[in-house]
Amino acid sequence: MPMFNLSGLSNEPKEKNYDVIVVGAGPGGLTASIYARRAGLKTLVFERATEGGQITLTNMVEDYPGFSSISGEGLAEKFVDHAREFGVKFANEEVMEMSLDGDLKKIKTDMGNEYTAKVIVMATGSNPRKLGVPGEEEFANRGVSYCAVCDGSFFKDKEVVVVGGGDSAVEEGIYLSKIASKVRIIHRRDKLRAQKIVQERAFKIPNMEFIWDTVVTEIGGKDAVEYVTLKNVKSGETSKLETSGVFIYVGLVPNSELVKDLVDVDQSGFILTDEHMETNAKGVYAVGDVRKTVLRQVVTAAADGAIAGVDLTKYFD
Amino acid sequence: MAALLSEEDRKYLVDLFNKELESEVKILFFKSDNKDECQYCDITQQMLDELAETSEKINIETHDFNGEGELVEKYKVEMIPAILMLDKDGNDMRIRFYGVPSGYEFSTLIEDVIAVSKGGEVDLSEKTLEMLKEVDRPLKLQVFVTPTCPYCPRAVAMAQKLAMKSPYIQGEMVEANEFPELSMRYNVSSVPHIIINEGAGEFVGALPEDAFVEQVMSVLKGA
Ligand SMILES: Cc1cc2nc3c(=O)[nH]c(=O)nc-3n(C[C@H](O)[C@H](O)[C@H](O)COP(=O)(O)OP(=O)(O)OC[C@H]3O[C@@H](n4cnc5c(N)ncnc54)[C@H](O)[C@@H]3O)c2cc1C
Repeated sequence: MPMFNLSGLSNEPKEKNYDVIVVGAGPGGLTASIYARRAGLKTLVFERATEGGQITLTNMVEDYPGFSSISGEGLAEKFVDHAREFGVKFANEEVMEMSLDGDLKKIKTDMGNEYTAKVIVMATGSNPRKLGVPGEEEFANRGVSYCAVCDGSFFKDKEVVVVGGGDSAVEEGIYLSKIASKVRIIHRRDKLRAQKIVQERAFKIPNMEFIWDTVVTEIGGKDAVEYVTLKNVKSGETSKLETSGVFIYVGLVPNSELVKDLVDVDQSGFILTDEHMETNAKGVYAVGDVRKTVLRQVVTAAADGAIAGVDLTKYFD
Repeated sequence: MAALLSEEDRKYLVDLFNKELESEVKILFFKSDNKDECQYCDITQQMLDELAETSEKINIETHDFNGEGELVEKYKVEMIPAILMLDKDGNDMRIRFYGVPSGYEFSTLIEDVIAVSKGGEVDLSEKTLEMLKEVDRPLKLQVFVTPTCPYCPRAVAMAQKLAMKSPYIQGEMVEANEFPELSMRYNVSSVPHIIINEGAGEFVGALPEDAFVEQVMSVLKGA
């Protein structure tokens, strides 16, 4: 991983009209853009944070084929470089409004710019789901975090808890165990959902502990987080646990606010598509984490992007 | 010491600067040779030296934080390593980097160099430019970051773009890990964390332009 990373540079588009506009520069959007460019289409990708998407939020990726072990940042950079090489344009702007009917779709961004395209690919990914307990909002920047790689260093030699039992919870717990003095994983069931290989690794870590069948009911403290209250879901017993940090990995919410009234979504807001990744609005595609799908990973987001990137060429024949 | 920039990135920057840089950019770098005082000064220096080699239009001027009190005073440099930029006429563009602009922050530094060489040309909405006209008092925006935080560069860029467009605004990046005491003072534990005028206002997270500007303006109105 380079110490000095250039993947965030935008190549400032002055041009406002495109064949294809991709919203979100995660693995799904970047793959769609690569395919669209290779089909000769003028393609612009919007990104409100850093190019690469959520994968930049993890330290290590070990399940993207071709790379037995690569940092999230490193993998993201490869995706971005690949897209750049084929002439994809990037704009560091947040899409705020869209109008999707008709042949020419319109987009407005936070910088007040307007763009048009014939085809839109929604690749806005997902965000961490909130726990929804008292104290979570209040301490949101005082010890509650949803990003271990961003905020982990503030908890050097302190005790932290991680809430959740899936891949992200356990992997980020492992990452934190190298910084914090102690990591306790609080999971509401009696076994983890995380991949076996990740579990085995976690069970061997001396400063990592598991609290099973337990949910967090409150996050408390004075100026910063000092404790969480816990409830055992089997016995009903409650207890208090001192901690400086609470890292929350309890699932995802789709970033579909922009379009949830414009295209079909499921109850949770995930965008519905056909097998070509097209939504019920013609010329509007959805790929990756934001889509209703059975697996949300880099490889599946990329696969979605490829399918959309090829299918959308039908609008330009 | 081995080069910090990969050959690929170096080439990329040479091309980019060839295309984009207009007038000269002077980078002032404040440091100390005392390692206990500044663990990261050496690496910052090396990074800047390598950067300067990618374009004739980038000039680095290194100053001693302890020995050059007048300059430190003039530019109100508070800690080291510190980077600031002057345009071709020697005007302070009111941007500061405290700590190594490494990781994702490196892109922000590069974008600043380009913007400064174009006399402070940055992309902001009409609405924001209108709002900035109302700013009539100094506003210091300190954006606390970590180099591994992908949401952070946007917040730094936003603060620094505002700085380039308003003579009252200063936009600073502060690498939180390098300045633990300052981070502690403001209770920084999630980044980006933006501190306005030494705590008169604050917010956390990378907000879209409108919301960011609103937060900044609310401090002005509240005071
Ligand atoms: C901590 C963590 C660890 C993970 N580990 C792994 C792993 O080991 N292996 C694996 O395969 N997967 C892993 N994942 C999952 C993987 O990161 C996602 O499945 C994948 O990134 C989804 O890609 P995407 O393109 O659909 O969306 P994302 O990667 O979420 O990208 C969407 C992008 O869209 C941008 N965006 C959203 N709205 C707007 C807007 N309005 N305007 C402009 N831009 C916008 C966002 O800023 C974001 O960058 C992990 C995820 C997390 C959080």
